[in-house]
Amino acid sequence: MIRLAGIDRTFVVGDEKVRALREVNLQIAPGEYLSIMGPSGSGKSTLLNVIGLLDRPDAGTYELDGRNVTALSDDELARVRREKMGFVFQFFHLVPRLSAEQNIELPMVLAGIDPAERRQRLDRLLAEYGLETRARHRPDQLSGGQCQRVAIARAMAMSPSVILADEPTGNLDRHTGQEVMAVLERVHHSGGTVLLVTHDPEIGSRAHRRVRMVDGAVVADERS
Amino acid sequence: MLFADFVRFTYASLAAHRLRTLLTALGIAVGIAAVILLTSIGEGLHRFVVFEFTQFGTNIIGVSPGRIQTHGASLGAVNTVRPLTIDDAIALRRAPYVQVADPLVQGNADVKHLGKSRRVTLYGVGPDFTQALKMRVASGEFLPQEDPRSARAFAVLGSKVARELFGDESPLGNRVRVGGERYRVIGVMQSKGQILGFDMDDTVFIPVARALEMFNRESLMEIHITYEPTAPLAEVEQGIKRILTARHGAEDFTVTSQQKMLEVFGTVLGAITFAVAAIGGISLMVGGVGILTILTIGVAERTSEIGLLRAVGATRKRILLLFLGEAALLAALGGAGGLALGWSIAQALKLGIPALPVHTPWSYAVMAELVAVAVGLAAGVMPARRAARLDPLEALRSE
Amino acid sequence: MRLGDLLEFAWRVLRGYPARTLLILLAMGIGVAAVVAVTSLGEGARLYVVNQFGSLGTNLIIVLPGRSETAGAMPGVLVGKTPRNLTLEDALALMRSHAVRRIAPLVVGAADVHVGARIRETPVLGSTADLMDIRHMEVALGRFLPEIDPRQILPVCVIGAKVATELFGARPALGEWLRIGDRRFRIVGIMAKQGESMGFNTDEIVIVPLAAAQALFNTEALFRVLVEAKSREQIAYAKADVEEIIRLRHEGERDVTVITQDAVLATFDRILRALTLAVGGIAAISLAVAGILIMNVMLIAVTQRRREIGLLKALGATAAQIRMAFVTEAVLLAIGGAGVGLVVGQIARNVAVQLYPAIPFQSPWWALIAAPATAVITAVLFTLAPARRAARLDPVQALSRR
Repeated sequence: MIRLAGIDRTFVVGDEKVRALREVNLQIAPGEYLSIMGPSGSGKSTLLNVIGLLDRPDAGTYELDGRNVTALSDDELARVRREKMGFVFQFFHLVPRLSAEQNIELPMVLAGIDPAERRQRLDRLLAEYGLETRARHRPDQLSGGQCQRVAIARAMAMSPSVILADEPTGNLDRHTGQEVMAVLERVHHSGGTVLLVTHDPEIGSRAHRRVRMVDGAVVADERS
Repeated sequence: MLFADFVRFTYASLAAHRLRTLLTALGIAVGIAAVILLTSIGEGLHRFVVFEFTQFGTNIIGVSPGRIQTHGASLGAVNTVRPLTIDDAIALRRAPYVQVADPLVQGNADVKHLGKSRRVTLYGVGPDFTQALKMRVASGEFLPQEDPRSARAFAVLGSKVARELFGDESPLGNRVRVGGERYRVIGVMQSKGQILGFDMDDTVFIPVARALEMFNRESLMEIHITYEPTAPLAEVEQGIKRILTARHGAEDFTVTSQQKMLEVFGTVLGAITFAVAAIGGISLMVGGVGILTILTIGVAERTSEIGLLRAVGATRKRILLLFLGEAALLAALGGAGGLALGWSIAQALKLGIPALPVHTPWSYAVMAELVAVAVGLAAGVMPARRAARLDPLEALRSE
Repeated sequence: MRLGDLLEFAWRVLRGYPARTLLILLAMGIGVAAVVAVTSLGEGARLYVVNQFGSLGTNLIIVLPGRSETAGAMPGVLVGKTPRNLTLEDALALMRSHAVRRIAPLVVGAADVHVGARIRETPVLGSTADLMDIRHMEVALGRFLPEIDPRQILPVCVIGAKVATELFGARPALGEWLRIGDRRFRIVGIMAKQGESMGFNTDEIVIVPLAAAQALFNTEALFRVLVEAKSREQIAYAKADVEEIIRLRHEGERDVTVITQDAVLATFDRILRALTLAVGGIAAISLAVAGILIMNVMLIAVTQRRREIGLLKALGATAAQIRMAFVTEAVLLAIGGAGVGLVVGQIARNVAVQLYPAIPFQSPWWALIAAPATAVITAVLFTLAPARRAARLDPVQALSRR
């Protein structure tokens, strides 16, 4: 359902141009569990951002669920993002002044969903990710692992088709990292598509399909 | 710390956030501009009025019958049981330092010449009138120096009356009817224009004794006295009061010096200007709140920077001065901007509305700048103290 | 996004930064309070003047001797001796107009009033019995001037409260005699304490019958004639009639000035309204300064909340939603500040009322609406640029910084 063809993305850094993605072709079917690995600067985060509609390619086409989303307007991109994509970041990116459940609620609030419905989903999500006792706490009162679980719950709030995780364990200790990965993999087991960017081979090797990138190009694409 | 370095450091931190600094300074600038503009208008008005008044000369005293004042004018000038007479005026010439004592009656009358008629202000005066009020004859001469009690039927026309009734012809030597009586025109006054609303050119001057008769009055409305400019005012007033009291048996008249009137007026106008400027100053207050806000945010943002400074040896006092200095510099910049802004608007007003008098004295500009700096310092105190009190270790630890 | 959620979101932002929220509230509050307080002062002055005029009776027409070509309608308060006087006969003739209900001729001057050894120079008014009703005056003790032929010299007088106490002390003045000039008058009435009312302080005057005053000051000429029209609608007719009657009596000359109190009142009203507006406008400049402050703080906020904005965009917020969030914050701040300002302004007004109970301080309705509205509009205007900047942030860039 994700089809990338000839995707190019170039950044201007200072005086230089950096070609972060070179003619990338990639197809991802629904329900796949895919990791994108590579050295620093290989373009893996950029690829994730393009897939997640956070960034626009300079060339090529992107088809999502049969629809050409390459040339959508900013507002249309935002809407598709809201409905279909769930992001999980390395540094959590929780809003510090909001409680855990208020953070999880955010995408639903943006979408204009009525409070009763939101409450229902919240209760479900809090239960599913073991956050019931922590619902009213603020991020500075939560452990790293709990923060990331809140982030995952938030990503799942709108029942998106794709979960995109950019170094989700990068800011966690090993043990907590394993826990978070288990949570992500549960999402996959329930039928979700999970895309994972990581530089940690141990984490990356857990995925069923491993894409490797160097210098903006896909150099390997293995399945196991 | 060398002062030059101090300034450089402060300037650098302000320049680091150019837009922020600009907007904060703008807040102060608007406040200062408002105050400068308003005080300029007030000062301009003050000068304008003083100028208008002193067209007559500053060393004038007015004596009017009765003591009761309503709205600044003496009731006795309307009607009184104790008249002020022409003889009184003649007697007052002998008062110390007095140069001229000119009797006055004022009213309304029709002036007619060959079928043309005009309703004018009529002044019944003595021959010294032109000296007393510093007005000059354009052609012919003023009323002759003769006993004011038995003056002949001569008239002097204001420039507008002359033009309206005689056109381009010279009115000298012609006869006119004033209030039904015949007078001979012996002079035409120079054009003086409007003074505080009174059109001095639409007037006719006749001897005071005849005017008294015409209006069927016993009492003068006023006696204009000019005195030597170097004489002490108090003594002059005393002299006048002494002579008149002796003649009347009681102090049944009012002596008003123009100087005093100007003083009173100046005080009133000053109070109004102050009040209005204070309202404008509220903007300055809000500008101060602006500085306070931005500095407060700034201190929070620069916590680690402050920690670093302390770690490399800055004292609390130094930190305090640094932040106070920023506040003062910010406000000073705003103040200078505001001065420029206020001044330019004042000039623009002057061009656009010539009737509106505007004047910005240097002292106001300096005061305004000082006030701006003071506001800045006041606003900066709290954030500066908070910065100075930060614990260096905690500060460095924060992100 | 639902309105309730939007408001709650903005509210939480404001609570998250208490210091700057409070300071902005303070700035807005000062601005609104200033406008409210200042305009209530101006409006109080205006209402005071209007009421004072109202107490004179609004169907009043004033006839003044004298008129000038260039000056037009205003010969001045005390200028105006003319060869052709405004006489009692002129005044009485005015009653011929159908639109006129009453007239009162007036002669004024200053004279010494003697009671025993005490002397006081006092304004003396000569008029008729109708003056009391026309000028809405009140007698505290005794009665006003009797209804007599205005040509008759009756040795009676009515005195003001202050004159009574100064000349008689604690003694009752009613029925006593006083001397003005070389004539004696019996006190038949004492005026109620009224204070100053548009030129006359009735507490300080002595009122005698018209003919007596004329003899006292040796003048036929009237100072002015007060005319009361039958109703508001009739004022214009009355004015026209008065001018015509006098003109005919004065050999076709228009040598009087006729002023309707309405016109004077309207002029004062206009001037004071303009003044209040001007001063209110000056105070409102402070709201603009508050707006600049909001803009400054919002710009800083955009920088400080980059990650949050980037996150919101990642979660699917549109540019419009980001802008709305910022604008809503600004609106909440403005409304909050305006609320505080209105309260403080009212307190200031109450203080003013305590200090000067005679003056009806009250903020005009347009100021109470305009000040908060200006605050809100200013806040929104000055937030537009920062909001646009926030909405344009690139989410990738915004999220990438640590």
